[in-house]
Parts: sequence; structure tokens; C-alpha cells
Amino acid sequence: MTNHPVHPVDERPCASYTLRVNGFERPVTDAWIGESLLYVLRERLGLAGAKNGCEQGECGACSVQVDGQLVAGCLVPAALAADSEISTVEGLSAGGAASDVQQALADSGAVQCGYCTPGMAMAVHDLLQRNHRPSEVEARQALCGNLCRCTGYRSALAAVQTVADARSAALLEAEEAAAEVAASAEPAEPAEPVQVQAESEVPDLPVYQDAWTETAAAGEVPVFGNDDSGWIVAQPFEAPPVYDAPQAYAASQDFEAAQPFEDVPPFEGTPMPGPDQSAGGYQPLPTAAGTGVGVGVVPPQGYPGYDPTAYGPGTVYAAGATYEPTPAHGTSAPGAPFEGTPAHGTPYEPTPAHGTPYGTPAHGTPAQGTGYPGYPDQQYAGAPYEGAGYEGTPYDRTSYDGVGYDGTVYEPAPAAPYDAASAHGLRLPEDDHA
Amino acid sequence: MLPTSLDEAVEALAASPAAVPVAGGTDLMEAVNAGRLRPAALIGLGRITELRGWRYEDGGTAVLGAGLTLARMDRPDFAALIPALADAARTAGPPQTRNVGTLGGNIATAAPAGDTLPVLAALEASVTLARPGATREVPVSHLLTGLDPMRPGELLTWVRVPLLNAPQVFLKATGRSGPSRATASVALVLDPARRAVRCAVGAVAPVPLRPLEAEAWVAGCIDWDARGEEGVPAIDPAASAAFGEYVATACVPDGYGADAASGLAVEGPTAVALRLRRTVAVLARRALGRALK
Repeated sequence: MTNHPVHPVDERPCASYTLRVNGFERPVTDAWIGESLLYVLRERLGLAGAKNGCEQGECGACSVQVDGQLVAGCLVPAALAADSEISTVEGLSAGGAASDVQQALADSGAVQCGYCTPGMAMAVHDLLQRNHRPSEVEARQALCGNLCRCTGYRSALAAVQTVADARSAALLEAEEAAAEVAASAEPAEPAEPVQVQAESEVPDLPVYQDAWTETAAAGEVPVFGNDDSGWIVAQPFEAPPVYDAPQAYAASQDFEAAQPFEDVPPFEGTPMPGPDQSAGGYQPLPTAAGTGVGVGVVPPQGYPGYDPTAYGPGTVYAAGATYEPTPAHGTSAPGAPFEGTPAHGTPYEPTPAHGTPYGTPAHGTPAQGTGYPGYPDQQYAGAPYEGAGYEGTPYDRTSYDGVGYDGTVYEPAPAAPYDAASAHGLRLPEDDHA
Repeated sequence: MLPTSLDEAVEALAASPAAVPVAGGTDLMEAVNAGRLRPAALIGLGRITELRGWRYEDGGTAVLGAGLTLARMDRPDFAALIPALADAARTAGPPQTRNVGTLGGNIATAAPAGDTLPVLAALEASVTLARPGATREVPVSHLLTGLDPMRPGELLTWVRVPLLNAPQVFLKATGRSGPSRATASVALVLDPARRAVRCAVGAVAPVPLRPLEAEAWVAGCIDWDARGEEGVPAIDPAASAAFGEYVATACVPDGYGADAASGLAVEGPTAVALRLRRTVAVLARRALGRALK
């Protein structure tokens, strides 16, 4: 862009255009073309929610959505955002009431001076639009562009989980209510338990599947693999086979005729082949429907690996259920606050300390990764992470405790245990002097 | 102002050569906000949908649109294609920037710390520059170094990247934990068909640097037949470490960071140069190790 000559012009080239902000058409007349969207929103349209922090795209206080994408308002030429759908933090709170995101941020203590909060609210809103169940790593990666000098981000991350839990609980309630309505609408047919399960199963599946395929397709949050293989994608959701409900019902009605059970030998003392014969214990033969114990309890959904409790209503997304899509380290109990995970979303792999693990002592640890590929058999065992002492802030205050650093840059650093893994996994000499 | 097709954009640029074509605008608006740039006119390229995707050409070449956003390049389908470029795009900045920042903008701005530039240099990519009725093909390295700069009225439209189907690594050293500018970055690409290693170092100079001698030397040290086999090291660890030092010494001169105005003659490498060399050496060694794993 700067390769093109820019002739100095005396007059300020101006333009008139219409911005569509939060669903309203807002005309802007005779605005200099160099005005940023942030400036126009604040100074010309009176929408002062987005804050002007740095004007360089560093701080994220001016985050707004343009055509559904989170952008820094200060880096968008307003004239080129004409005819785009712009949504600002004012659009979150319909009718003056705080949205669930804003309320959760306030409740969890993520608001102190409040300057970063509108941008943070937009970032959380954008994250939860794309990813209904963000892991802690994904949440950290989504918020990495929003600087906050007050709170230390932990409360903001707690707010993300609060909103995600609340939304999934509300979704589940709505589904159950809908299922009840559907069940009460057809009372003529005496519903067997198996059939009810089959019917409630079918509408449940697409919802979770949708949430997952959307996440995978969005692909914004790849996680670095522990095996140092670059990075891995969020595990794709293994969509269970969609069951045709009448078919399943028919199969459950006459399971005498069901194929998998024909091979199950009867119980009447028939000698079983196999090593356990002498022990006298009856070993049920594995069938296609699972273990094959007790023919009557096999649900019609029984395909290999089917866990009837995994997708049932009330078990998956109930608040507090430990359904972790991408296993986030350090979040053992969902109710517990996120104690001590590194900044900006590295999987919490104990990153090697200075000089300890490698043949060639070096200051750095691999960028964006965990183990060192060249010496796989010298994997650093890792200082165990003490969750209580870790403050969540990176290594400015925590490294080299107890060992004086002599200031020599090019010597191998003393093998001092430092209890905080660096966030990107990369430590540079300047980090030690920060 | 907001053309919707490539032809319109080229015509508009030809009609007013002083206008600034804007794709994501992240670098442009930063300069405008700081008062360093006063654009006479803007030509928004965000509506040109044909430039926002990529296509394949015969002979194993991917033709990437200049309007491909960094966030799009981060996705798994693209990362399977050109993993180093996806890695570079992922670390290029926060989501707010990556959602709008584009590959073409990264090349046209040619910032020293541009994260995609060393990858493109290592891949030996070339760009297509369009003006009304004609296009020309320029290697990225020639464009960046000023051997064949962009002329007034030209628009950067496509980026041709060879598909190598081999390991490629991008590593970046930053000064803080979050997304930030690189203090040094290394892109390393294996070319098994030619038994070559291609490496580029970014952010240590105004343009990405190719340590050609180090590449040629290390390609001879690699056991190409053993590459990818279990338990057989494709390269001696000592050679790998020496490659890192070779690259660092080649790319960071002794006088790096020396205060030329002070007039004092500096003997030997400066402290800044030594520190940067160490960073580059570690990045290059690890990049080679990962590529050969």
C-alpha cells in the first residue's frame, strides 16, 4: 500500500455514506475518508461504547463486529464499512438491560476501571457466537487481543464459562420443555420407555452436533499438539448414526427377530466355548449391540461404543457436568475457578526450564510447542505445577526464584525451577530481564 | 470506492493512481491514525470476493488470493495445504487483526516483522501484479528487496505458492506471551524432490533473508533416504546445531544494532547481535529438527 505514491493534497477528501449500526441506518455526511470506524461511531454517531485505547489495534478496547467478524474499530476505515452490518456493544444490551455476557462480566468482577470492558464484552460475545462451549484455551485465545491492566483476566475467563454454562442450561431446559410438549401432544399411543428414549434422542443430537461442527468448521482455535506435531484440530464430533425412530421402535418391539441376538446362546447350561468354561462363569459373548448381557435392556440405539448416558437429556450439558470437548488442563472441576493456567492458551505442558533438558543448553524453549523434537528421549519431566502459587500472569515476577541471575546473557542459565510455563512456550533472553 | 470485481478495482486504480488500495486496512489505518499518511482516496478491496479464496493450478501450485484473510489461512483446510503459512497467520496478531488482515496486505506493506513474508520467501512464491489489460509475475523476493518493485497503478492480486507436500515449519520469537511482533522468525521448508532445504529468517532485517550457503550445506548433511523412518535420525544433532549457528551468523551481521552515529569502532559482534544470533540459531535448529522429525 505504501508502495503507491501518495501525493500531498491540500484539501481533505470527504465522503458521505450510510452505516448500518445495530440494525439502524445511520447517515454520515462529509466525513474525511481517513476517519476510523471508531472515530465515526464515537464522535459522529454518539455511540461512545467502544473506547479509544491505542489507535493501533493493540488494546482491543475498540472491538466491534463488522459483518459478524470481530475487528478493531480503530483499524477500519469507516468509509469502507458502508453497507456492512456493524454491531457495537450498545447493541448487546437490548432495551437498556445488560446482556448475559455483560452481567456475567460484572458479576465475576471482571470490571474494575471499565475501560477495556466494552471491548471485552464484544470479544466474549463473538467467541460464544462461534463456539458454544469454549475450553479455557479457546477462551484465552479469543481474548488475547483485549488488554486489561486491572483484573488479570481470570474473572473474564470465569465469565465466559458462566455464560456458556448458563446458555447451555437454558438450551437444555427449552429442549426438555419442547420434548414434554411433544410427548403430551400425543397421549393416545401408550409410550413405552424405549420409545420415549428413542424419540427424545433424535431431536437432541443435531443441536450438539451443530455446535461442534460449527466449532470445527470455524477452525479459529487450533490447539498445539502435545507430541509437538505442529498443531491439532479440535476433535471432530463423531456423529452417531441418526436413528429412524419408527425403525428403532419396530426393532425394539420384536427383539426376538433382531439380528444381533440370534447368536447369543441361551442360558440353559449350554456349554460355552472359551477358556472360562471351567470356571463356570458365564461370559456373555460380545455382540454387535454391545456386551449382549440381558437382551431386554439393550436399547435400540445400541451400536458399538454407544453409551446411552452420554447423549441423554439431562446428562450432557447440565450445569456442572464435566463434558470437556477439548480437554483443558487445570480445569478439573467445572465449578472451580480456573486456577493457574498460562496466559494466552498454551496447553499446560510443563515447558522445559532454561538449560535443563537439552543437549545444547539454550535459553529458549520451542516456540508454540511443548516437547523438543530433536531429543525425544530427553523429555523434560517438568516441575509439577503448583496451582496455588501461580498467579496467572506470565513470568515477569515468577522466574528464577531463589537463584540470582548474574546478568550474563550467553551463559547457559542456571537450572532454576521456575514454576510458570511461558505462555507461547518460547522464552527469550529479554524475558529474563523484563 | 468499493469495487466488487478485480477489473473494476484495476480500472479505478488506473483512473486515480494516487488512491490507496485498502484490503484489511490494519497497517494503513495505524499510519493514518498516527498522522503519517493522508490518503487522497481509498479503494476498498474487501468486496472482491474472487480474491478472498484460493485455487489450484496444474503442476502443484496453489494460487492464493491477495484478499485471503489471516484468520482464513488459520483454518484446518488451508493448514493442510501450506502449514507454515498457516502457522505464520495464526501468530500474526490478535483475532481482531487477523479477521481483517490479508495476505496481500502483508506483502504490500512489507513490514520488517511481517510474519508471512519469511514463509513466502522460503517457499519461493511469486505474486501477480495487475494493471489494466496486463499482468506480470514477480517473485516475492524481488518485490520485497526492491529488485522489481511495485509500480504506480499496479494491484497485487494473486500469490502463487508451490505445493511441496513436505514438512514445513514456521517458528517465531516474540517479546511477550500474547500475540506480538516477532523479534526473529524462521521459516524452513523441505523440498524432498530436489533434496533441498529452504530457509528464510524474518524480522532481523527490512526484508526476509535467505541463508543460501547454510541451506546448501545442510542439505548435504541430511540423510534423505532415512527421513521419516522410525528411530533413524535424519541428521546428526551436531550438524543441526551447526546449521543454526550458520544461519544466525549469516543473517545477523557483527554490527547489528551498533550506534553508527557515535563514531566508535566496534570490535567484534555487538551484544545485541550476539543475542539475536542466539535466538535465530535456536529457532533455525529447532525448525530443522521439527521438519526432519
